[in-house]
Amino acid sequence: MRNYIVFGRRSTAQLTFALGIALVVVFSLVPAVGILVISFTDIRSLPYLATHWVGLQNYQTFFSSAQLAYNLSALRNTFVFAIAVTIFQNLLALLIAVLLNQRLRGRNFARAVVFLPTILGVTVIGLIFSLIFNPSAGPAARVWAAFGASSAFFGDPKLAMTLVIFVQVWSGIGVAVVIYLAGLQAIPSELYEVANIDGATAWQRLRFVTIPLLAPSVTANTLLCIIGSLQSYQLIYVLTGPINPATQVLSLAIFTQGFGGPQGGTVQSQGYAAAISIVQFIIVAIVSLAALAYLRRRETSL
Amino acid sequence: MTTVPVAAPVGLQAAAVQHPETAHVGHRRNKPLAVVSYLLMLVVVVIYAYPLLFLINTALKSNTEFLVNPTGLVQSPQLANFASAWRQGNFGAYVLNSVLYTFVAAGLGTVMSLLVGFPVARGYVKHPRVWQGLFAGMLFLPNTLVTVFQLALRLGLYDTALGYILIMASGVGVGPLLVTGYLSSIPREIDEAAAMDGAGYLRYLFTFLPKLMAPVLSTVFILQAIGVWNDIILATILFPDQTKWPVTLGLFAFKGTYTSQWSLLSAATLIVAAPLLVAYLFLQRYLVASVVGGAVKG
Repeated sequence: MRNYIVFGRRSTAQLTFALGIALVVVFSLVPAVGILVISFTDIRSLPYLATHWVGLQNYQTFFSSAQLAYNLSALRNTFVFAIAVTIFQNLLALLIAVLLNQRLRGRNFARAVVFLPTILGVTVIGLIFSLIFNPSAGPAARVWAAFGASSAFFGDPKLAMTLVIFVQVWSGIGVAVVIYLAGLQAIPSELYEVANIDGATAWQRLRFVTIPLLAPSVTANTLLCIIGSLQSYQLIYVLTGPINPATQVLSLAIFTQGFGGPQGGTVQSQGYAAAISIVQFIIVAIVSLAALAYLRRRETSL
Repeated sequence: MTTVPVAAPVGLQAAAVQHPETAHVGHRRNKPLAVVSYLLMLVVVVIYAYPLLFLINTALKSNTEFLVNPTGLVQSPQLANFASAWRQGNFGAYVLNSVLYTFVAAGLGTVMSLLVGFPVARGYVKHPRVWQGLFAGMLFLPNTLVTVFQLALRLGLYDTALGYILIMASGVGVGPLLVTGYLSSIPREIDEAAAMDGAGYLRYLFTFLPKLMAPVLSTVFILQAIGVWNDIILATILFPDQTKWPVTLGLFAFKGTYTSQWSLLSAATLIVAAPLLVAYLFLQRYLVASVVGGAVKG
């Protein structure tokens, strides 16, 4: 790379660059590194309270017998949520992409409708599904009633997680579908022609042409989905609130422990919430690196 | 080759759908498949359109009609619901807040992405590789809710619009990466030609480049704007003062107050969704490209 600057003095470029970087460093990088630092303190949300170093105490609390059951359940919920969302979102997105890649009338409309929730945001989506799953008068309650059943839906601890997963998949699938569509359109048509000459059935074309050539899109979608769903909690917060044990995931626990809600956030230590952030960060790093290694190996073997 | 029915890179079953009238051995077998495809597409569309249509349907009902007939089609549409929701939820003020936050934060974020992305792409600052690595690394950071809150508190930015905007703007995400990526397709000779003609660095950055980079800059802006408009968590922890709330938080609080008045609540939800729906209607291509471009880079 040629490193000379063509615009006379270098200082303008450096100054404006520094300005931009400074904002990012102060409001993004400092907080990221700061999380690790304050996870060793008992910092509180009131600025005039003294802060002390407490060493590993927050981490010990996380694994202490008093908190362990709650945290293990949050951990279990996180994995159930992430695994279910990743599997269903990817499978359904692939099917919808294959379907909407055909020459069907109105397929552009269908694509647009499927993508729409991606921009709607969690508050609007949360309200739409609170309305649909309104236990007393919603359409879902009607369907349940037709089978002689009733349900509290998001208020039912057995059903809440399933419904949250459904809404998450519903709202997030658009991006995956578009990525798969791009992947499908990049497959050269000659391959299908050759497969046809060889007498391949529709299933064989899917298995031996489409799927292997779509492997990079599968990798991208799976990774995006794993990383996203391990960290996402906004929709869960809107649908079932900050303290519902049935849907408590790790990232929501950070919010609840740090900012309390009804548990009295002002006196609580935010250092503990920071420790949960670090635990979560380590989990996300390990899982996504493992998934990346696995998917890359699989891509070459298909 | 034209008799071979797969003429375009389309997936499974495409053959018969593309050339339904071609006399082909597979013809009879594939015709039902086309019907199945249309049925499946209909199912998909219904699953996505029904919740929205049901929301509109509910928003038009009077409270009495909703109580009598909660799931049926609206009999006497009440447009007054929107006016009452707008008034009772104080949405005018919230919409103004959201518009301010969204445009300023996304605009600032886009300018920042350009300010840092351009010199790194061209090597006008030292160690471009290191900075490039930093941009990528910034996508994998831990959850920083607690420290962002503490930082705002200690800088005197807690409960201020300025603090919220700065924090939202600094979440540039893939912005700098998209900018450096796009710049590799713009030849350096253009920089040199502009410099020869006497354009200074800033003039080049803010008058020449935006024209050359319009697609990627609009992507960066849209991506960030969607994020800011839809944010609810940061606004919750940074704004105890209700008058500074964005519209998402206003809607969430409205839900808490009018728990069982579903028509009013649906009208309010539609008010919040309306700008997004209108934007989607007109900018669909850009929005899809932005969101997907951002996601794949990440």
